[in-house]
Amino acid sequence: MNEKKSEEKENAAEPGTSLTPDEQKEVRKRLGREPNALELGMIDIMWSEHCSYKSSRPILKMLPTTGGAVVVGPGYDAGVIDIGGGWCAAFKIETHNHPSAIDPYNGAATGIGGIVRDILSMGARPVALFDSIHFGSLSSPHSRWLLRNVVKGIGDYGNCIGVPTVGGELQFDEGFERNCLVNAACLGFVRKDKIMKSDTAGEGDHIILAGGSTGRDGIHGVTFASKNLSMESEGERPAVQVGDPFTKKLLIDATLELLEAGLLKSLKDLGGGGLTCASSELAFKSGGGADIDISKIHLREKGMSPYEIMLSESQERMLYIADDARKAGVIAILEKYGIRYAEIGKITKGNYRVLDEKGKVLAEMKASLLTEAPTVDRPTKELKFEGKCMKLNKDISFALGQLMASENLCSRSWIYEQYDHEVGDRTVGKPGHDSAVLLAPNGGAVVVKLDSDSLWCNIDPYKGSAGVVCEAYRNVVSCGGKPLACVDNLSFGNPEKPEVMFQFKESVRGISDALKALETPCVGGNVSFYNEDEETKLSIKPTPVIMMVGVIDSLKKLRKCRMNKGEKLVLVGETRAEIGGSEYCRTILGAHCGVLPEPDLAAEKRNGEFVLANWENINAVHDVSRGGIAYALLEMCVQADMGAKITLDPIPMSGKEHVREEDIVFSETHGRYIIATKKAEELLAAAAKAGVPAAEIGIVGGGKIEIDAYQFKLQDMKEGYGKALWKAMEHNKV
Amino acid sequence: MTEYTVEVVIESKPAAKDPEGETIARELLMKNGFGQVHNVRTAKMLKVKLEAENEEQAKNLAERMVRELRLANPVAHIYSINVKG
Repeated sequence: MNEKKSEEKENAAEPGTSLTPDEQKEVRKRLGREPNALELGMIDIMWSEHCSYKSSRPILKMLPTTGGAVVVGPGYDAGVIDIGGGWCAAFKIETHNHPSAIDPYNGAATGIGGIVRDILSMGARPVALFDSIHFGSLSSPHSRWLLRNVVKGIGDYGNCIGVPTVGGELQFDEGFERNCLVNAACLGFVRKDKIMKSDTAGEGDHIILAGGSTGRDGIHGVTFASKNLSMESEGERPAVQVGDPFTKKLLIDATLELLEAGLLKSLKDLGGGGLTCASSELAFKSGGGADIDISKIHLREKGMSPYEIMLSESQERMLYIADDARKAGVIAILEKYGIRYAEIGKITKGNYRVLDEKGKVLAEMKASLLTEAPTVDRPTKELKFEGKCMKLNKDISFALGQLMASENLCSRSWIYEQYDHEVGDRTVGKPGHDSAVLLAPNGGAVVVKLDSDSLWCNIDPYKGSAGVVCEAYRNVVSCGGKPLACVDNLSFGNPEKPEVMFQFKESVRGISDALKALETPCVGGNVSFYNEDEETKLSIKPTPVIMMVGVIDSLKKLRKCRMNKGEKLVLVGETRAEIGGSEYCRTILGAHCGVLPEPDLAAEKRNGEFVLANWENINAVHDVSRGGIAYALLEMCVQADMGAKITLDPIPMSGKEHVREEDIVFSETHGRYIIATKKAEELLAAAAKAGVPAAEIGIVGGGKIEIDAYQFKLQDMKEGYGKALWKAMEHNKV
Repeated sequence: MTEYTVEVVIESKPAAKDPEGETIARELLMKNGFGQVHNVRTAKMLKVKLEAENEEQAKNLAERMVRELRLANPVAHIYSINVKG
């Protein structure tokens, strides 16, 4: 062990190790000797759950990852799909849960910064941001503090770098009171022949570290992310990272110019695991090693140890790889933008080595030792929260009024009105609709939606997760997009607990089955474990987030989704009395259990394809998901600022005789859409031909929403739905 | 009761990055004839006028505001409180 080095630094972060005895044995076996402190620290971070996916990797193999439009699948900084016309979309989602839970503003902002770098690393121009955020109850001051600052962090960062935040979702559940979830996602466009990957560096290529300086912030970020949050999180923690969007903006512009000029052989961003992770993965993927001279790195603080330099997670840093001939060109562009940089070493054919200024080797091992952590086969134990929902006799008028203004269903305008969602002039489908729609450089558009449902996934992780995929699929279809592929972000509790591992496995199985059936492969993702309250030992509810991306091939197909007076309302898809786990159950009955709606994947695909195939006969369409038919209808009415009248009798259902009204209007059966059309007859004829259950259920017009004999004033509903979040946030400043 | 002016200074922890301070130091001062400068850190100061029995109570009151209402986030910031007569 290198004792002298640790003596030098009194305030240095202690190396220590979280490796298990078995893992330490494995390290010694592969290395053929004892690792020194620096080596152990680097291995420690690379073998952490966050970097190595050691618990999740064996299970993630279930996911379909190839076929269709896939160009680059999992294993790279972002997934890439072909959207036609020589263009591709690169997209990725990642959590920043732990940093956001302790410093919501900077945690969320740097989450955005990190995801933008991932898109850049594929050679793509980032054009849109998305967020999926989860907090405890809206009635809790702590949750409101988190929400307010997370939203501000995302909005400020996106605004500064000129990338719009165009879509997302917000959910509340008491399980997130202390462990909020912040998923940040980004999408970019890249020409198919310009895609960059981290496996194209060659021997002798120069490694250039550019961007922000390297400081002590964020050291142990990933080992921190691989542990639970506790009370000592406050105050005692190493400094959180502070976002620096202006440096990021320079990095984005410089990177795009470097790519355009064809000066780079490869590139990679520095995120979790810092320089160790980025440089070793790049070297390994390129089939070699690297020599890193740490004395060249521009530091923010004096006296940083090699350990701190190699593990720092300071923000806004990129690695550029250039050969001899093009190095000078790279440097000229970096200098033009005033970006600080350092030539820190070269790609080699040998080992991965860290050197000091005299060339002394401080750490040496095969790159694979860092990047190929042994997996862990963790035990699972079944855990489900099904069971009977209590039934109360609350009539529809009471329930609908409550649901509309409930924290999980009310309008999110308080959030998206704080975001700049227009910058770049691509946003044709704006926040507040089913999905975000962005103009693509190939003359078409892409449709993007993030969905999740922690309540469903807690009750039944298999059905719940498959249901989330179905919902995302429907949302993309509802904007006219043909769903092509997705990325997933899986936030779970402590994987060392067999119940959590069961939830994880079942969830991935549910996602896999749904993706296979819907033919939308998974091209990347992120896993966040250890989302657990240290004091109460409670895990968060399992929360897989699906980011589904689809395409619209012609701008003629863009719809405003605004129904008009006199149009007929057609319901597509069969309704079953599936009220278990519904928003009605949660909000009205206070029941967090029940039997979830059965995802009928074949019907889901058939009904979605039917909607897309008959697009020309559709004026407005909305998927039926949370809150059932009643909520979908209300959203359509609010959107159009116009009432509508429906009757429940014609709704396609099997065994309707003994079903209560609320089981029909609040059922969350999958595979359903409400369509406003002038051509109901044509649509119904086409449905009959395609074997799709469909029926005309009502007509658009008037100032009221009428469901059979129940009547609601549109104005009241608009007020309750539109203002609930505003009231909660603006009337309670803390 | 006496009126006090309490100055609450909230700054990022020393190890945290301060993009604004760095930009002022590097792009403004160093480049414009103040080569002696090697570091600038920005902070936020709140001048709070309040009523209290004595200085200590004024300080405690300000301290409570900072902590309970999270004017400073203990994870990201350090703060100091100075009571002026």
